[in-house]
Amino acid sequence: MTRFNLLFRPAPWALFVLIGAFCLAAGTGFGQITISGEVTKPLTLQAADLKALPHTEVTGKDRDGKEHKYAGVPLADLLKLAGATMGGELRGENLMKYVVVKAIDGYETLYALPELDADFATRTIILADSVDGSPLPSGVGPYRIVVPGEKKPARWVREVKSIEVRFAK
Amino acid sequence: MTVSRFVLFGFVALAVLAAFQPADDPVPTGPYELKYPASFGGRFSIPADNPMTQEGVYLGRLLFYEPRLSATGTVSCASCHQQSRAFTDGLAKSVGVSGKPTRRNSMSLVNLLWVRQLFWDGRSNSLEEQTLVPLQHTDEMGLKPGEAALKIQKTAPYAALFRRVFGSDSITDGRIAKAIAQFERTLISADSPYDRFLAGKYALTAAEERGFRLFSTAPNPERGIRGGNCVHCHGGPKLMQELFHNNGLDSNATDPGRQEVTGLELDHGRFRVPTLRNITLTAPYMHDGRFTTLAAVLDHYSDHVQASPTLSRELVAAQAGGLGLTPSERNDLLAFLHLLTDTVFVNNPQFSNPHVRH
Repeated sequence: MTRFNLLFRPAPWALFVLIGAFCLAAGTGFGQITISGEVTKPLTLQAADLKALPHTEVTGKDRDGKEHKYAGVPLADLLKLAGATMGGELRGENLMKYVVVKAIDGYETLYALPELDADFATRTIILADSVDGSPLPSGVGPYRIVVPGEKKPARWVREVKSIEVRFAK
Repeated sequence: MTVSRFVLFGFVALAVLAAFQPADDPVPTGPYELKYPASFGGRFSIPADNPMTQEGVYLGRLLFYEPRLSATGTVSCASCHQQSRAFTDGLAKSVGVSGKPTRRNSMSLVNLLWVRQLFWDGRSNSLEEQTLVPLQHTDEMGLKPGEAALKIQKTAPYAALFRRVFGSDSITDGRIAKAIAQFERTLISADSPYDRFLAGKYALTAAEERGFRLFSTAPNPERGIRGGNCVHCHGGPKLMQELFHNNGLDSNATDPGRQEVTGLELDHGRFRVPTLRNITLTAPYMHDGRFTTLAAVLDHYSDHVQASPTLSRELVAAQAGGLGLTPSERNDLLAFLHLLTDTVFVNNPQFSNPHVRH
């Protein structure tokens, strides 16, 4: 599996950043996110990698019935990085692809690729890492899927662990 | 020859053939037809390289009940997975060939056709992989890799059966596991009063109805709504979901549970959410068998959920205020839980010990 390196370059400070990221990961139990399946570049993203990616802000109603501001990386961007068939490639048989998002506790839900693609969908589904300006609380974070406008947040997967693209058989 | 004469001839020929059948059960052959309610769904856990066949299930059942598959010749899978107890053993922690208690409580074997991660910590990804663990554990059946074949290859039916199921006489650990897995996938329980209630064929009593409502309702103290919300993790027609949660048994779990498998701190003290099917038959409860009665389990969820960093989010509210179930609410919940017992399943002759002639 390819290790995704956005932030690190062969520079003298790289080791310190690496150690820092490792300590953060080990100290807080923050996991990593894997993107696999029907992609050309399977990825394992560390906390620092995800933090460095461009973030988008969306608002959505959580189980408490209140609107919250969530920031995170659009799922579409993550899928493009991994080389999934998004954008112009999302046609023909590729429309039979879907994404399975799994949580640490085993919970899993799916999204059809066009639901996530900006050419199709009017809403942006994100992998959120903060709510109302703060990191997601324990039991919810470090990463949670947020589907703006969806009336029931059952697909707002908490404690996201992996993202897998599959072909419907 | 007229048609009726032809038919008569056919019957005579059949009768003659039948008279020459061996006295023992003939080994059934052909694809195994799985029977289950449509509501259970078709998301099976059958690997592509181990399709279900009648002969495979037949062999698997013999092996499941075969005490030769242990270092002492006295312990079979069925020692810790007894049909009358919904394939558990009634002990807090099981005892195998060494006499030393194992680490965790024996799990009920039921509706495994739909289970993808086995054990309390989900460490096995298939029944084929799972079966080898107790077979080779020093405190369970205590065999070394490859030893199982030596134990059974001289026993009458096995070489022929392995040839029939797998195409050659070779007996291997992998083939033993495959056959046992096939048998285990036939252990389908779908005939409890709860199943009949869902199918509209059983009317709940008043207490069962109240228990069902408590089971299915999320509590909301502000609006005066009572409930245990058990359904969140234990609901649905199969009464199970493939989830791993920390249910607040201890503020600092001594058994790290799923953390040992994933290495994630967030998994500390998380264990499989077990099925509630046949729950009245599978005492004692929890991964360490610490509760001997269902009343003690209800007491835990009502008033004794312990806070910890990985406590299931669904139980955080219960920990803070407690559900505070009243004695009559507990009785109602118990009345409902008794509906989950499938007596047809625990008495099904297809799942019993085939080495014993009735």
